[in-house]
Amino acid sequence: AVLKKRLVKLVVNFLFYFRTDEAEPIGALLLEHCKITKEEENVFSISFIEEPERKYCFECATEEQCQEWVEALRRASYEFLRRSLIFYRNEIQKMTGKDPLEQYGISEEARFQLGAHRQ
Amino acid sequence: MKLNERSVAHYATCDSPADHTGFLRKRVERHHHHGTSYQRRWFVLKGNLLFYFEERESREPMGLVVLEGCTVELCEAAEEFAFAIRFDDAGARAYVLVADGQAAMEAWVKALSRASFDYMRLVVRELEKQLEEACKSLAACRKSPRRSSSSGRKRHLSNPALQPLQEKPTTLENGYSTWSSGGCVAGGATCPDYDGGQTKPPPLPPRRRSAASSATGSPASGLSPAMLESPVPPETICFSKLHNWYGQEIAVLRREWQERQKRGHP
Repeated sequence: AVLKKRLVKLVVNFLFYFRTDEAEPIGALLLEHCKITKEEENVFSISFIEEPERKYCFECATEEQCQEWVEALRRASYEFLRRSLIFYRNEIQKMTGKDPLEQYGISEEARFQLGAHRQ
Repeated sequence: MKLNERSVAHYATCDSPADHTGFLRKRVERHHHHGTSYQRRWFVLKGNLLFYFEERESREPMGLVVLEGCTVELCEAAEEFAFAIRFDDAGARAYVLVADGQAAMEAWVKALSRASFDYMRLVVRELEKQLEEACKSLAACRKSPRRSSSSGRKRHLSNPALQPLQEKPTTLENGYSTWSSGGCVAGGATCPDYDGGQTKPPPLPPRRRSAASSATGSPASGLSPAMLESPVPPETICFSKLHNWYGQEIAVLRREWQERQKRGHP
């Protein structure tokens, strides 16, 4: 496999990649239902739930950079944010007895409910 | 521009719960055509992604709208119950959608307005801070359970010889939880009287409300509009490219598939 140098940008739950010095991306990966795997030194891969054997591999300049990317990408999905929100809401409710989402007027929305089975 | 389209389609159609679904009529955008027409499509909102399908049973979406850097507003169209998704990027097309009725329209506008990743991130960060504050309050309380309070209530002093009971947290009528054994009441609530001999921590001062919520004080969304209209990063241009690309690609794939069907291929 040939490695091509790319500028890579993480924007919300999308990973855009550009040819260096080009303003428009040549591609994007939606980062939902994906798995970020630390591979050999300086390398990580992204694979998706419906096609786990297909890996998008990225080689970084340093191991440290690689770890940063792995951590950032693992937290990049909307679903991860949603799980975090539900977790914090639950913890705050347990500690204070109050629902912190009430002040936002979104406490009733189905997508923020505890115990909702989400992937 | 390439996209991991199989994964995107899978995400759109898999059985992970959607945030909102329903039929909407979508205005057809034609550049050199007078008059407007609408097509009924099945819409699925998952996270910050709005997918639309030709039909409810379609196995692949026709298109995708990424709900970042956009506003959702009611529309002065000839149609009743119309609303529009407009992007800060001037080059991006707007999406004009028509709901079946007032309630459906309001539900969609509400769901779409709060769908962005940025909005979620804001809320999560806010909750993170609140949890931290709640933990700090608890920790401070545990460190000094005998701190005198300004409350004029009578207090039973603890008998150092007695072991405090280990109780599970109980919920008081006013909604605040309390723990025993060096625990405390979070918030400015008064405690019920326990039997003598057990430590009764003083009530904490009223919980300070975060800046975001005290700034507005309205029962609606606690985030001020200014917080939601963040400066548009150049990356939003990428999203409008995604919309255009995805719509075209799917249309091409569908045509090819339909042609194969006609020729009798499986």
